[in-house]
Amino acid sequence: MKSAYRVLAGLTCLLVLVQAAAIAFGTFGIISFVEDGNDYTKAIGEERAAEAGGIGQNIHSFGAMAIALVAIVLLIVSFFAKIDGGVKWAGIVFAAVLLQWVLAIIAFSAPVVGLLHGLNAFVIFGTAMTAMQRAKSATSAPVAAATV
Amino acid sequence: MSRDRIRFLLACVGTLVIVLPLAYLWQESRVPSTYSVMDMGYLDYGGGSRTGPALHGGHAMTGMGGDHAMPGTRSVADLTVGTDRPADKVVDLTARKGTVRLASGRTVDGYTLNGSSPGPLIEVTQGQLLEVRLRNANVPDGITLHWHGLDVPNAEDGVAGVTQDAVLTGQEHTYRFVAEQAGTYWYHSHQVSHEQVIGGLLGPLVVRPAKPLPQPVDVVALEHTYDAVATVNGRSSFAVEARPGQQVRVRVVNTDNGPTRAWASTAYRVLAVDGHEVNQPTEVSGKGVVVTAGGRIDLGVVAARDGSGVRIQIGSSTAVVVGPHGADVAEPPTPPSKDDVDLLSYGSPAPLGFDPAKADRSFRYAIGRRPGFVKGRPGLFWTINGHLFPNVPMYVVHEGDVVRVRISNSSGDVHPMHLHGHHAVVLARNGVKATGSPWWFDSLNVKDGETYDVAFVADNPGIWMDHCHNLKHANQGLLAHLMYDDVTEPYRVGGDSGNEPE
Repeated sequence: MKSAYRVLAGLTCLLVLVQAAAIAFGTFGIISFVEDGNDYTKAIGEERAAEAGGIGQNIHSFGAMAIALVAIVLLIVSFFAKIDGGVKWAGIVFAAVLLQWVLAIIAFSAPVVGLLHGLNAFVIFGTAMTAMQRAKSATSAPVAAATV
Repeated sequence: MSRDRIRFLLACVGTLVIVLPLAYLWQESRVPSTYSVMDMGYLDYGGGSRTGPALHGGHAMTGMGGDHAMPGTRSVADLTVGTDRPADKVVDLTARKGTVRLASGRTVDGYTLNGSSPGPLIEVTQGQLLEVRLRNANVPDGITLHWHGLDVPNAEDGVAGVTQDAVLTGQEHTYRFVAEQAGTYWYHSHQVSHEQVIGGLLGPLVVRPAKPLPQPVDVVALEHTYDAVATVNGRSSFAVEARPGQQVRVRVVNTDNGPTRAWASTAYRVLAVDGHEVNQPTEVSGKGVVVTAGGRIDLGVVAARDGSGVRIQIGSSTAVVVGPHGADVAEPPTPPSKDDVDLLSYGSPAPLGFDPAKADRSFRYAIGRRPGFVKGRPGLFWTINGHLFPNVPMYVVHEGDVVRVRISNSSGDVHPMHLHGHHAVVLARNGVKATGSPWWFDSLNVKDGETYDVAFVADNPGIWMDHCHNLKHANQGLLAHLMYDDVTEPYRVGGDSGNEPE
């Protein structure tokens, strides 16, 4: 369970990186599409056209689902993993992911909230990293004790 | 009990606290492999009468409709124009899945009708009985045709699983209806519509009034985006020959999933909205006008008297150039959207023909957005009155009712709301009363943060979709129905028929 916790926390960090990379890919795709003289319309945005950054946006959408799923599973695993502070950090990661969804929903109406969405990504990354390190020290501790 | 055991039990309880609600929400979101739309969600009477033969015995009874209605009820299948009157005009359409060749020479995957997309322009005179024989040559998912904006009898509305079964490969289906309303309309598939309409299974339809219009030059400008390429009548632009001083009507049809804007290099008038003539339209210049997804706007321009051309821009990428042969006009500057023609105050008032203050029913159609499950899939979805599909309202009316609806949108996105089978009139937007020409619509651009009060007369019995015409959104569950209280539903979504209307 400790290993599962560590892997899931690490996966959360990895997915945050994928999310940041994907949305940058998507945004530059839109810029490039417009710079080629095209009109980026609602219809094209809705179609997630590959030539208009659609692939990056699609990855970001799927990534949002994946992180939510991983955060839920991490929280459940934390109940069984017996890691000191493990539930607390899994709970914080889950809360930060929940907040990320809320910020995204609000940002569709108030784009300035997107700033917080971007910053909160670092919170998810940092807390998931902390959770991963907790699990790491928990798995390595008994080994260290045995060698004494 | 040992500490470890207590800890394990608490872990199990914690897991259940997380998993059980999610499992419940997932289960609630699932739809049977085949179902009647009448069994979806919950009945909303809008404060009106709850009687009606179709509702006796409860909502679940609707599954017993059969092909024909029980005594005291009417089946959707029987709501036709009848067979005794011969057709005044017959059109044959053959649908194929394959490639669409754009005027630029580029080919894209899509659908054609009689070999082209957009399909052929269907023109009829008001009052004529139109018969369209649709044949599916090879579209594996099946097809239908919906007459967008025409208030046809319910059985001819062309919605798979609601008003007919999808027309499968090799099959034929005949639509018959009287074109009662003059104006600009379009037709499109309402089977797997989020793919087939985007893929081009559509075309324009114009009903001409018996008395000729004052514009001798009259063209359709059907806007469609094929694989990220915006087109008008399948090309980037086209020319319309007109003599200096001639009046020209350009019928802009937006078949896309998002709104577009039109503007012109000269002054213009908004002659009609969704097939309804504007009363005393005034001349506007330096302004744009929004054409919502699924909506139509007829623009009136006068060909320049000096022999130069007039350019009507539809979005930044497509245009219609009106003038003498070879006229070329530079793209006019894009007007700021804050100055767009506001249909709430455009034109002059005229009688509505009914009194919205004496409404028999008042409904709410509040659009929101939240994470959850739809059809068993997790995601971020649209809500109607706080509910996710399929637990959405079924709006129940009685024939002859005056119905008011408050449509509000707090979802963070624009929604082109389309009610089948009826035209409603805008009474107010964000509490500000309409003061212009009666703004009749079938497709309404409801932006994030907006609230519209609209009204209509329930004068076309049947079961009618009331959905977002961003067809991706409809497929994500932004879809409800309006039901007359004595109508039964013989058709089913899903199952062997393969009906999948969105």
